[in-house]
Amino acid sequence: MPASLFEPGLMRTCRIQSVIVHSPSLKSFYLPSSLDAAPGQFVNLWLPGVDEKPISISGMRDGLMELSVKSVGPFTRALMDCAPGDLVGIRGPFGTGFSPASNSLLIGGGTGIAPIRFLAQSLRDRGMPYALVCGARSRCELIFEDELREWGCRFASDDGTCGICGVVTDLLDEAGESGLISVVCAAGPEPMLLRIMAWADGRSLPYQISFERYMKCGIGICGSCCLDGSGIRVCVEGPVLGKDQIAQVTECGLPHRDASGLRLGE
Amino acid sequence: MSSLRTVLAGVILESPLVLASGVLGLTASSLARIASAGAGAVTTKSFGTEPRAGHKGPSVVPYPQGILNCVGLSNPGADAMIREIRAYRALSSAPVIASVFGRTVEEFGDVTARAREAVPDLIEANVSCPNVAAEFGAPFGADFESCAAVTRAVKRNAGPIPVAVKLTVNCPGIGRMARVCEENGADIITAVNTIGPGMLIATEVCRPVLSNLVGGVSGPAIFPVALRAVWEVRAHTALPIIGTGGVCTADDALQMLMAGATAVGVGSAVYHGGIDVFQNINGGVEAFLAERGLSSPASLIGSAHAAGRNER
Ligand SMILES: Cc1cc2nc3c(=O)[nH]c(=O)nc-3n(C[C@H](O)[C@H](O)[C@H](O)COP(=O)(O)OP(=O)(O)OC[C@H]3O[C@@H](n4cnc5c(N)ncnc54)[C@H](O)[C@@H]3O)c2cc1C
Ligand SMILES: Cc1cc2nc3c(=O)[nH]c(=O)nc-3n(C[C@H](O)[C@H](O)[C@H](O)COP(=O)(O)O)c2cc1C
Ligand code: FES
Repeated sequence: MPASLFEPGLMRTCRIQSVIVHSPSLKSFYLPSSLDAAPGQFVNLWLPGVDEKPISISGMRDGLMELSVKSVGPFTRALMDCAPGDLVGIRGPFGTGFSPASNSLLIGGGTGIAPIRFLAQSLRDRGMPYALVCGARSRCELIFEDELREWGCRFASDDGTCGICGVVTDLLDEAGESGLISVVCAAGPEPMLLRIMAWADGRSLPYQISFERYMKCGIGICGSCCLDGSGIRVCVEGPVLGKDQIAQVTECGLPHRDASGLRLGE
Repeated sequence: MSSLRTVLAGVILESPLVLASGVLGLTASSLARIASAGAGAVTTKSFGTEPRAGHKGPSVVPYPQGILNCVGLSNPGADAMIREIRAYRALSSAPVIASVFGRTVEEFGDVTARAREAVPDLIEANVSCPNVAAEFGAPFGADFESCAAVTRAVKRNAGPIPVAVKLTVNCPGIGRMARVCEENGADIITAVNTIGPGMLIATEVCRPVLSNLVGGVSGPAIFPVALRAVWEVRAHTALPIIGTGGVCTADDALQMLMAGATAVGVGSAVYHGGIDVFQNINGGVEAFLAERGLSSPASLIGSAHAAGRNER
């Protein structure tokens, strides 16, 4: 077994280099990292004394890994209090990324904008054409609005504070017409993902969708993130899954399993 | 033609490899995936009567020689696991082992009665959990009397379903412990659970990595200890053994068989070798049997003991 196989799972610590405040409950953190990561991959972020949780990589630039996080509970709230110089742990990168392709239609919703931003960044670096749409509940829940706009992004927000008043899926037909789309790449809340898949299915477009499930180990052994159907591990075979893999999943849209493995409502 | 078919306490396995408890064992789909990847039987995550969230993260952390975990017996509870075991039946014909734990002897009895509703092929009692009634909450598996009491309670409620008791090396003597289990009705010994506990410290932070500070050690690092434990159990009892701990390769599995195991548990190797590890080990064991003209793994079981005795 080559040593490199062990590498991603090991805990490494580093100091937060800088923080961007998008809003009090939405921040991006920059960590020095030489990791070779693909857009769509995630890391397990450890706040010593608090917890360890999966977070998508939202960008890689100049030896810095960018993580963009929204405060939703104890761990992410504690992260909002972190400042440059604070020590955190990183394990990863874990999982599969998006396969970069020309004429991808990229769709990000909420914190799902994070991996989509990294994908757009890497397509731009390679000079591959793409179309980009992002949505959030409100402007204050958007990350990197200005930069994304420069990158040609069209926006939708539930309250109309940014872009059209509506949901990202309202922008799909327009985005779909503007060019030849070869593949749809999306990340965000599952109801949005289901609508996107239905839209893409209607046009016989292939897709790569990033899924979120409760995770503990990140290395494919604890079983927390396994999808009903064919037992796909979201942390290893995912989080980005293709159409054929998703076709085998029988739990799309259902409440997720929690830390005990119990699915709410069952 | 050699076959990997193995008979474990009357249950037929198409391969001696058994998915160890706690690894990819929470859901029917996951268990079925491992069965189709080449496991002869699969073990569920250990479950109790009620759901448990377990410890915070980091709770599963690899290091270069193995894995530490403090998942803390997280499980969705008996109701959910019974549903998963039933659902598993529709997906796979490979035998399924229900792993159960309790915090008291009574709870072991209760959860066994629940597990029986799902009609698993075997019930495995995980005695590595703390006995809340004991001084300092020592694990049942650390003490002859507690372990005997659990074995009796599980056996009483398991009805016709054979019972495995899963031992830890953290006890006064695993051979004697196995004998105690045998005398109290166990049909199989699973040896061993994780070892330790162990610890890792993140030096820059100057703090243990695991949220629980300590966790059980598994993976390649513990293989020689697990192998020795299987050897000792074999020397002390006539019960079939599921030899578990650090098995990653066909040679490891063969060593387990030769030390006395009838079946071989595989857990952490799923990290070190991927899900293909089952197919790879099966292939290697099959080739070994074929080379020697052996028709099944049965003749290997305990075969190293003869040599061991001669040389002593
Ligand atoms: C692959 C992946 C990538 C992610 N990327 C990002 C990201 O880039 N930015 C971001 O803000 N968030 C991301 N998340 C979600 C993030 O992990 C959760 O918001 C975080 O774990 C919440 O923890 P908490 O203690 O703050 O909240 P809690 O109150 O504990 O949980 C709030 C909700 O977060 C989810 N959650 C909690 N714990 C976990 C866990 N261990 N694994 C998965 N989900 C959990 C559950 O849906 C839960 O209902 C990602 C999740 C996954 C699985
Ligand atoms: C993440 C993890 C969770 C585990 N959970 C359980 C469990 O719930 N019940 C149990 O009896 N053993 C549990 N174990 C122990 C394994 O079943 C096995 O005995 C041990 O890991 C040694 O085998 P291995 O080196 O092949 O993993 C767990 C091990 C790991 C790594
Ligand atoms: S998080 Fe443990 S298997 Fe995916």
